[in-house]
Amino acid sequence: MKGRVFLLLIMVFFGFSCRNSKSKAPEFVFPQSDSIPVSEAEKLSPEAIADISKNISSPVEIANLLQTLQVPFSQTYLAESIDANKQSTNFDKALKLGILGADLGYLNMYEKTESSLDVLSSIRKIAEDIKVGQFFDFESIKRLSKNKSNLDSLLFISIDSYSKIDKYLRSDDRGQLSALMIIGVWIEGQYLATQVVNLYPNKMLSDRIGEQKIILNDLLLLISPYCNRDPEFTSLCKDMQNIKDKYRDIRITYTQGEPVSVEKEGGLTIKQTETSVVTMSKEQLNGVIEITKNVRNRLILNN
Amino acid sequence: MKKTIITLIFLFTLGVLSFGQVTDPLISNCAINTGAKAKYLKDFRIQLGKAGIQSDLRYKANMSLWKNTKYRFTMCNAENSKGKLILAIKDESNKLILSSFDKKTGKIYSFIDFECHKSGLYQISYDFTDGQPGSGVGVVSMIK
Repeated sequence: MKGRVFLLLIMVFFGFSCRNSKSKAPEFVFPQSDSIPVSEAEKLSPEAIADISKNISSPVEIANLLQTLQVPFSQTYLAESIDANKQSTNFDKALKLGILGADLGYLNMYEKTESSLDVLSSIRKIAEDIKVGQFFDFESIKRLSKNKSNLDSLLFISIDSYSKIDKYLRSDDRGQLSALMIIGVWIEGQYLATQVVNLYPNKMLSDRIGEQKIILNDLLLLISPYCNRDPEFTSLCKDMQNIKDKYRDIRITYTQGEPVSVEKEGGLTIKQTETSVVTMSKEQLNGVIEITKNVRNRLILNN
Repeated sequence: MKKTIITLIFLFTLGVLSFGQVTDPLISNCAINTGAKAKYLKDFRIQLGKAGIQSDLRYKANMSLWKNTKYRFTMCNAENSKGKLILAIKDESNKLILSSFDKKTGKIYSFIDFECHKSGLYQISYDFTDGQPGSGVGVVSMIK
């Protein structure tokens, strides 16, 4: 009897320990160093940089999540104080091009196409100033916006225009402007998400904010080669590093599982059973909201 | 002579300027035909020659995918493409998450919907069937 109980205890123990070891994978952590050495960043190949720039979460994805959560549209989130005629340096212009691009994505997703015409004009002016206006299909976007005809075409042309600008800047040895544009897109998307979660607390949205930890290091890698270029870049690098610091203790862990596939209407649907879990306290979230607001507002007021 | 040079410079400038504005029709057609509920996110233009000894899909890119999002991966082939475009996605631990090519049945899916529940960086790989040369585009969109 004693032997059976002992055997049962062993089985129960192994049952639990196996499940535990199977269900939890290691958590996501930043690379060892606190900040990225410039020399390391300079080693990035053009392919790696292209990969990173394609990687960054699209503001359209954030706007899509807001719509799924039935968050109402608000004009107050937009960077309306940006005056395209008052951007003096290429640094300002490229950064604002990114910020306005994120706003355009938000407006398009909510089909606020009349408001998007002002943003479009600003984008056109700035794009022409840094000599990438030829890649921005202004007339098509304007026509699609006015007609409210086809959201998918509108999204495609808008995103495609930005992708072409990004690609051209990198091929034209102006990678620093491409990096700024991408940072601008990201910071505005992040601002949008953090402002909304402040007003409408929601676990799904706060998780998305916490999960930005996954791509933060890539963003830093992107601008690191330019951190000592001039005071504007040095200041931006410091801002991004401050944002990263706020993420340091936010945890992302994973549970494991096998994907499940279902054939439907000629296509295949794969449902992932693995999950990522964000552990973030209210204080940590507030810290991210605060730093994002400060950085973004400083950047857009720098007219 | 002067006129010829001016005309040549004009044509060259026009060519350079218009180069940036042209969108590959294969990409635009594929992107706007992914379904009524699909919203375009990005595309990958793939043009590959014949493969040598092949073990893995040749075109690779990384992409961050976010949980609570349903993605649609659509594959379109150029008319003159010999091989058919196929896709495989692996996670950071190199685990295969999905493939548009069923090795057992030989079936090739023209699109795959993926319900993502684990945010992270994924490796998106494309190639053409049997390592044949081909031309195609992979479009990533979100669906509600």
